[in-house]
Amino acid sequence: MLFQKNAAPAVCLALVLAFCAAADAQTDPNDVKPFPVFTGTTSYFTRVTGGVVQDSPSMSPLLLYPFGDKWLFEAKGSYSDTFAKNKSNAWEGTMSYGLGYAEIDYLANRYLTVTAGRFTTPFGIYGERYAPIWVRALQTGPLISSLARGSSNGGMLRGGFSVNPEIDFNYAVYFSAAVTNHVVTSDRTSGGRFGVFFPQERLELGASFQKSFQQEHSRAEGVHAVWQPNAIPLSLRSEYQWSEWRGSGFWVEGAYRLSQIPHGRPIEVVGRGQKFYASRLKPAALTKFGIANMKDTQQADVGLNYYLPNDVRVSGSYGRQFGINKDTHLWTVGLTYRFVMPAFPGGGTR
Amino acid sequence: MKTKFAIVTLFLTLTMGAVVSAAPKSGARKDTPPAAKPGADNSTVQDTRLEGELRFRANCGRCHAAPRKFPPRLMATVVRHMRVRATLTDEDTRLILSYMTE
Repeated sequence: MLFQKNAAPAVCLALVLAFCAAADAQTDPNDVKPFPVFTGTTSYFTRVTGGVVQDSPSMSPLLLYPFGDKWLFEAKGSYSDTFAKNKSNAWEGTMSYGLGYAEIDYLANRYLTVTAGRFTTPFGIYGERYAPIWVRALQTGPLISSLARGSSNGGMLRGGFSVNPEIDFNYAVYFSAAVTNHVVTSDRTSGGRFGVFFPQERLELGASFQKSFQQEHSRAEGVHAVWQPNAIPLSLRSEYQWSEWRGSGFWVEGAYRLSQIPHGRPIEVVGRGQKFYASRLKPAALTKFGIANMKDTQQADVGLNYYLPNDVRVSGSYGRQFGINKDTHLWTVGLTYRFVMPAFPGGGTR
Repeated sequence: MKTKFAIVTLFLTLTMGAVVSAAPKSGARKDTPPAAKPGADNSTVQDTRLEGELRFRANCGRCHAAPRKFPPRLMATVVRHMRVRATLTDEDTRLILSYMTE
């Protein structure tokens, strides 16, 4: 047992050193000196969920601060306010804010990037890739998003490299400490994600795993697939996730850009189907560890995105959620705007 | 549990099948050109541009719509950020940056 406890960090360190020693020195691509960037997204959405109207402005600023040839500091915050009418028919707001990530990345070599700080948990693909408001095709998130914590505090090794001209491999492994502060909350977990990407077919297949070392000590696993057929402007993505304690489920999403019809290029049609299977454990067992006792649910959404110039997007969607003894209509309509600018005056324009 | 086992098995089978079917065919994907340097001849620049565009569509297009092109120094930062976030390969990073800053 003592050996096992001591062996894990030593093996990790040995792997890092081996990677660093074996690979070529990393140089900055194309000899362009990067300049700090301030970017982010603002949005305003109106949501109608089962007849209840909510208005929600939000902002997610992101600072990218590169230094040297190999380092990058990146920090992303989030702020949103949700307004809804209370029982006395008066508008009431609920504010929420958080720190999505604040990490330092070290590009050790072509195979390895070392990350430390607070980062998006590399479990599944939605959180890291599709969650940003300006990226997500539908504003409603997948039902299985609750199976894993969105952010972690600790260390991560990640990277992507070509195995051969037809196959790229990508990976991310991490450990996280438990933090209870509500702005930077995280669980004591460890896990990772592996993916194989076929650039010519534009197909990616991957798997994730996670182990919790606190409370219920549960396991979670998942698989994902992303495919963009070369012949048509269609994106298909899907995830299946299973958690020992929190349930399981899947989602399948398709986004089709109408670029093949006249004046249709700015329009994207989106559809998603998903199903959530609640945990089969007894409610009392879940309550003991503060895990929400959710119900089996299925949901279908269709939406339309219209891309205006200068990174402005208008979105609307309709969905229907079927739960036990519950049938809810979900409407969203709103606007997103993504901005990118130099973080400081006098730079980045040349 | 049986459903989960079936899904994981199916996924692994598909992955293995895809890896096997994509594995080394002679002359399948030509060697990619290095990022063009100032003063490079036109054919090299053109090859790099085409390859960069392909890499851009294959990698960036997986998640989001094509962004605007920004000044080179800002683009270098954004691409470094995406290299980490999207686990881009070193070669893809170089070619995409070259394409986005031309």
